Amino acid sequence: MRIDGCSDIEDPAPLAQQAAWQDVEPIAQDDGPSPICPIAYTDEYREMMGYLRAVMAAGEESARALALSGRVIQANPGHYTAWVYRKRLVEALASDIGAELDWVSALSAKHPKNYQLWHHREALVERLWPARAALALPEDQRLANPVLRRELQFVGSALDEDAKNFHAWSYRQWLVARYELWAQELAFVDTMISQDVRNNSAWNQRYFAVLRGRPATTQLDAALARAEVAYAVEHIQFAPNNDSPWAYVVGLLLRHAPAALHDELLPRIRALAADPGFAPAMSSTPFYWSALVDIHEQQARALPPAERAPLLDEARAICDRLATQVDITHNRYWRFRKTAVGAA
Amino acid sequence: MAAELAINAHARYFKHCLTMLPAETTSLDATRMTIAQLCLVGLATLGRLEDTLPEKRRAEMVEWIYAQQIPNGRGGYGGFRGGSLFGPHDRCEYEPANSGNLAATYSALCSLLLLGDDLSRVDKQAVVGAIRSLQQESGTFAPHPGTTERDPRFIYCACAISTILGDWSGVDKDAATRYIVGCCNYDGGLTQMAFQESHGGHLYCCIAGLSLMGRLDALPSRQRTLQWALFRQSGGYQGRANKAPDVCYSFWVGASIEILGGHDLVDSSTVVHFIQQCESTIGGLSKWPGYLPDPLHAALGIVGFSFHRPEQFPHISPELLLPAS
Repeated sequence: MRIDGCSDIEDPAPLAQQAAWQDVEPIAQDDGPSPICPIAYTDEYREMMGYLRAVMAAGEESARALALSGRVIQANPGHYTAWVYRKRLVEALASDIGAELDWVSALSAKHPKNYQLWHHREALVERLWPARAALALPEDQRLANPVLRRELQFVGSALDEDAKNFHAWSYRQWLVARYELWAQELAFVDTMISQDVRNNSAWNQRYFAVLRGRPATTQLDAALARAEVAYAVEHIQFAPNNDSPWAYVVGLLLRHAPAALHDELLPRIRALAADPGFAPAMSSTPFYWSALVDIHEQQARALPPAERAPLLDEARAICDRLATQVDITHNRYWRFRKTAVGAA
Repeated sequence: MAAELAINAHARYFKHCLTMLPAETTSLDATRMTIAQLCLVGLATLGRLEDTLPEKRRAEMVEWIYAQQIPNGRGGYGGFRGGSLFGPHDRCEYEPANSGNLAATYSALCSLLLLGDDLSRVDKQAVVGAIRSLQQESGTFAPHPGTTERDPRFIYCACAISTILGDWSGVDKDAATRYIVGCCNYDGGLTQMAFQESHGGHLYCCIAGLSLMGRLDALPSRQRTLQWALFRQSGGYQGRANKAPDVCYSFWVGASIEILGGHDLVDSSTVVHFIQQCESTIGGLSKWPGYLPDPLHAALGIVGFSFHRPEQFPHISPELLLPAS
């Protein structure tokens, strides 16, 4: 199997017939007399693996070994040892890292969900432009650097292909955090959310972009909390029965601005629920009522114990409503949750 | 009462996979050990392991597994390999050509136990030594030397291996727990690394890892995590919010719910119905209804099903993916 852009094959003839490989004795696979889950390899794969075993066993560092590792990885991108070998070869041969990044890009078009590929890329980028050097420059100059521009473009196009590719988002977080590209990230997130308001990966990235790597105990200032509430509610208004903005805003505030649950979020969602245009959608979505339970519980925590009862009773009544009307699928959970209201 | 799962067809499917996999599965060549484990646990859950695999075949399979053990492995290189594709151990000048892999080691140990082996030929020192070498300062684990991969999948493998061998000296539990707690997300879910998206697969690895270490109480809010897990149910279980349900999460999320004590809070009939919809007419289960089956989705769908039919299926430990003794 050959992938466009992964130009490792100079000579398509079997390796056994190639002059360049005459000196190598391939090592056959010994699967024993009774293998488990043996794979019906193609002859091509079987042959190239015999040669790869031979060069790896000898610890060979050469251009032909690099090309062969590439062929094997294209056929079997899960060959974790071939990746380790390839990384070592790229270093030992002082290969052009830009060319290697192109190779990885071509491979990822065919295997976007392969773990090793993304980690290989991470190691290459770090070598090409170590973060320590990059961070000596201001952010706008870092962004203008061709290495980072290329990486942002690469991960952007991976997300164009599949806006929820977990590895792509993970790689993007590595890039943004390592090279401190925080200032540009919210705009990217906003673009992704506008493309699909139900893209939970994008909402998760919003949390990442707002927190900027700070600890879970960080408290956000009131203005920022208010702005995030407004943003979330604007998107809730667009599609109320959408898990992501609700989970985002409740989760963000519970951790980082708990008072804003009552001060900012509650009035806005109540207003939306009272608006005739939105009332039916709001009252039928479990996320609205679930948010109210969280808000009332949090509010109660801020009060002296003697004053908590009305809020906790209200929270329990909402659990009943969820169990019997709004979220019957999870009715057992809501009955359980009712008993736990006010416990923590 | 009619059988709720096509047990015969699935047993035949696993037997077929254990016997031969097609060329299209070449990308699984380095993870055959895990495919083997999945087929074996699938058969064990169906109660068909001994019928399907006669004693002689089981003994031969044990030999194949032990042939993948790195003899005299040291540092991060000990343990078991994921398959025989790497070549003979004794001809390597280049160590990474033949390193163990934590996932393969976990799969090997489970497979040996399922086949009735007593693990007496496992080089426990080398395995535990590899675990120790592969733990990072942050508390997480790499699967093998030479990679920047390091995430809860391998924390889980390290914890499961330590449990099976009864030797935790390779695991700094405080550090591993700290890392896992750092993976708790704003929505109550857990993930690969702090700030990444909550994900059912990593949820399982984190929760099962904590449980095996006896550190479930380290979770900031068990209730919020349980809520996140339960809310992945929309018909079957989804792995992330707003994604389609996939039968493998019947295990990853389903088992997490079991561990967190939420068994009675699940809408069993909907889960069971979705898993049945994922049964393939050629045996096995597929990730979505109507797709082609594969061993991972088959095994995990069947184990996930068994949680809801305890009177019909053996009890499989949610923490170890092994029959509970």
